[in-house]
Amino acid sequence: MSVVPLRPGVQAEPSAHAKPVAMIEIDRVSQMFETSGRRSHLALSDISLSIEDGAFVSILGPSGCGKSTLLYIVGGFVMPTAGVAKVKGRAITGPGPDRGPVFQEFALFPWKNVLGNVMYGLRQQGVKRAEAEAQSRRLIEMVGLKGYESFYPKELSGGMKQRVAIARTLAYHPEVLLMDEPFGALDAHTRTRLQNDLLNIWERDRKTVLFVTHSVDEAVFLSDKVVVMTRSPGRIKEIVDIDLPRPRRRADLLLDPHYQKYVVDIEKLIDDVLEDELHP
Amino acid sequence: MNASQFGRRISPLLACIGLLCVWQAGALALKTDSFPTALEAIRAIPSILGDHESLLNILDSLRRMAIGFGLAALVSIPLGLMMGRIRAVASLCNPLLMIVYPVPKAALMPVIMLWLGVGDVSKTLVIFLGVSIPIIYHSFQGAKAVEEKMVWSGAAMGLSGFQRMFRIVLPAALPEILAGCRTGLVLALITMVTSEMIARQNGAGNILFNALDMAQYDTVFAMIIVIGALGIIFDAAFEKLRRALVRWSEPRFDMPLSFS
Amino acid sequence: MNARLVSTDIILGIIPIALVIALWQGLVSFGYAPVALLPPPGSVFARLAQQLVNPGFLHDIGATLLRLFAGFGIAVVLGVALGLAAAVSPGVNAVVRPMVRVLAPLPKVALYPAMLLLLGFDHASKITLVTADALFPILLSAYYGASMVEQKLVWSAMAAGTPRSQILFKVVLPAALPSILTGCRIGLVISCIVVFLAEMITSTDGLGHELVAAARTFQTVDMFVPLITISLLGLILNGLLHGLRTYLLRGFPEV
Repeated sequence: MSVVPLRPGVQAEPSAHAKPVAMIEIDRVSQMFETSGRRSHLALSDISLSIEDGAFVSILGPSGCGKSTLLYIVGGFVMPTAGVAKVKGRAITGPGPDRGPVFQEFALFPWKNVLGNVMYGLRQQGVKRAEAEAQSRRLIEMVGLKGYESFYPKELSGGMKQRVAIARTLAYHPEVLLMDEPFGALDAHTRTRLQNDLLNIWERDRKTVLFVTHSVDEAVFLSDKVVVMTRSPGRIKEIVDIDLPRPRRRADLLLDPHYQKYVVDIEKLIDDVLEDELHP
Repeated sequence: MNASQFGRRISPLLACIGLLCVWQAGALALKTDSFPTALEAIRAIPSILGDHESLLNILDSLRRMAIGFGLAALVSIPLGLMMGRIRAVASLCNPLLMIVYPVPKAALMPVIMLWLGVGDVSKTLVIFLGVSIPIIYHSFQGAKAVEEKMVWSGAAMGLSGFQRMFRIVLPAALPEILAGCRTGLVLALITMVTSEMIARQNGAGNILFNALDMAQYDTVFAMIIVIGALGIIFDAAFEKLRRALVRWSEPRFDMPLSFS
Repeated sequence: MNARLVSTDIILGIIPIALVIALWQGLVSFGYAPVALLPPPGSVFARLAQQLVNPGFLHDIGATLLRLFAGFGIAVVLGVALGLAAAVSPGVNAVVRPMVRVLAPLPKVALYPAMLLLLGFDHASKITLVTADALFPILLSAYYGASMVEQKLVWSAMAAGTPRSQILFKVVLPAALPSILTGCRIGLVISCIVVFLAEMITSTDGLGHELVAAARTFQTVDMFVPLITISLLGLILNGLLHGLRTYLLRGFPEV
């Protein structure tokens, strides 16, 4: 077996029989957490999921269902207790710039200004300063923050911080965007605007997106597929294909009966999940 | 108790033994008269603690330390809490404290000795001054950080200003206050030693520095062990008390902060 | 905080200081304290002004500052290095933690005789004492700062392609900076106090020695001058550090 040098965080694996591989392949993944003492908690149980290139997939479920954990496993931040997660057919062994995270907490570097934050990944890839700066400025403009390049994160509102975080991640051209409840800490209006802007950006280059949320209408509005999960243990309850035309506009969709049906159906699924917990 | 807890409990002891071993090895390697081995120093301890006069000296020191520390806590905690809740009090006191902060309190000893003599009063006063500042500072920070809405709830339940201070602010700030007291305790010990070293009359510091002057190196190092042990024991005992008092609070600094 | 509140703060802050000086002057003027024991503030400040241009006294300030900076500098380097190492490496932690538990509450002044015997009566023993006392608050704040670094900052940097070996310097150190600088502030005040004490115990120069020398000859005015000088030095150094802190932490939210 020859080991081909690859991007960091991804293990080499010969794929002799070339058949179209999914962008992300989650294969019988389980995750166990040690809680205090000898008790352990099964966060994810035997999850299998395949996500093709360019798909926008949301993971939906009540809090504590392990949906963020699943995302961290794909990110390479957490190693699964059992099973494997693969990106482009290769097992994930750690974080790498092919999978860019966006967190609810923004996680911007407080000691760097907007430009510095966005440039960070490019500089890390060895891009020359001038080139990195030019690219970063274009991205900052794209997310609507032109003029804020020299501001520090503390001087920005929550929505602006999340725009910077998205630009920071887009800057190093990841093939997969991993979004962990990215709009969960924002007020309703900011949230709607960012959802629209995210879709606009996404429709340009159709990166693969894995999007964790607990908002049903956010999931339906954005996604091609919605994965509904149960909790304790975290399992996939159902995968719903969202067959709505793109480009989507929120104002149009709200009155669309198909959209409304998806929302109601998924609300019911979640309700079942919670009901099953109370009366198993 | 499982193995890792046991390991954690025993590790300071191992550290002590390790340090003594390093000392022993260093002393054997250097072979100078002025640096006795750890074993020689430990052997000299019983003769100090067995000597009636030395023991009284050490007890005198501890009495001054206890009185100075107690008075400081009694004055500093209310002052710090008021500074934390009443803006005018903070504005009044902060600059003065800033000026006094970098002055070594034990350095006031020669001046205070001129006024109050070399006796207990001077030394206790110096300990009092040395301990006060960290306790004031921590009580101030603790009271300032108390959630405003908790105090509002108290007011809504009809508590008076004094009651709010005593029944809400004091317990809420207790973890921080005790952190200050812990620093203060080590400081009290340090100020005690230093004050006795400047006013050579009696006490543990006096034994230490007299032995240094008379080149009784075994006694010097034995006294260092005795005073060091006092510091570690007081700190450990206070930490136990602190844990019992604020069981409800998240542990933050579980390592002591000390300075002189 | 608006300008009016700040100026009220300043006025309120001056009151107690003015009161102390007035009380001091009053005690002398109304004959409650003999001048030999409590010199009037005017003569103390006049003497201070006179001493500040006296080369001998300036040499003392220089000696004190040299020891202070050397001791404090070593403490910063050592404290930050050990604190960060203990936070990121379980192996280092297992050694450093119990050591700190034992050494931090130890009254370091009591070790001073040992330092004198081992390192001599010159700079080395005093610098060692300053380092020993300033080290622990800096070490502890570096340790806590580094252990509190938000996991997702590290993850973001790793996803952006930062190798594990660089995470310490590119993420953990800058993220722990606010806590480290708080520790340095405490360490600096401690350094001021300790260097003075060490000079009082044994020295041939420095501010602490000036105080002891004046005390021996009952020159009360000269006893007050070094005390006021060390207080001023502390204030100035604290101000400089505060400026550095404001500059370095310009991106961080206020604490």
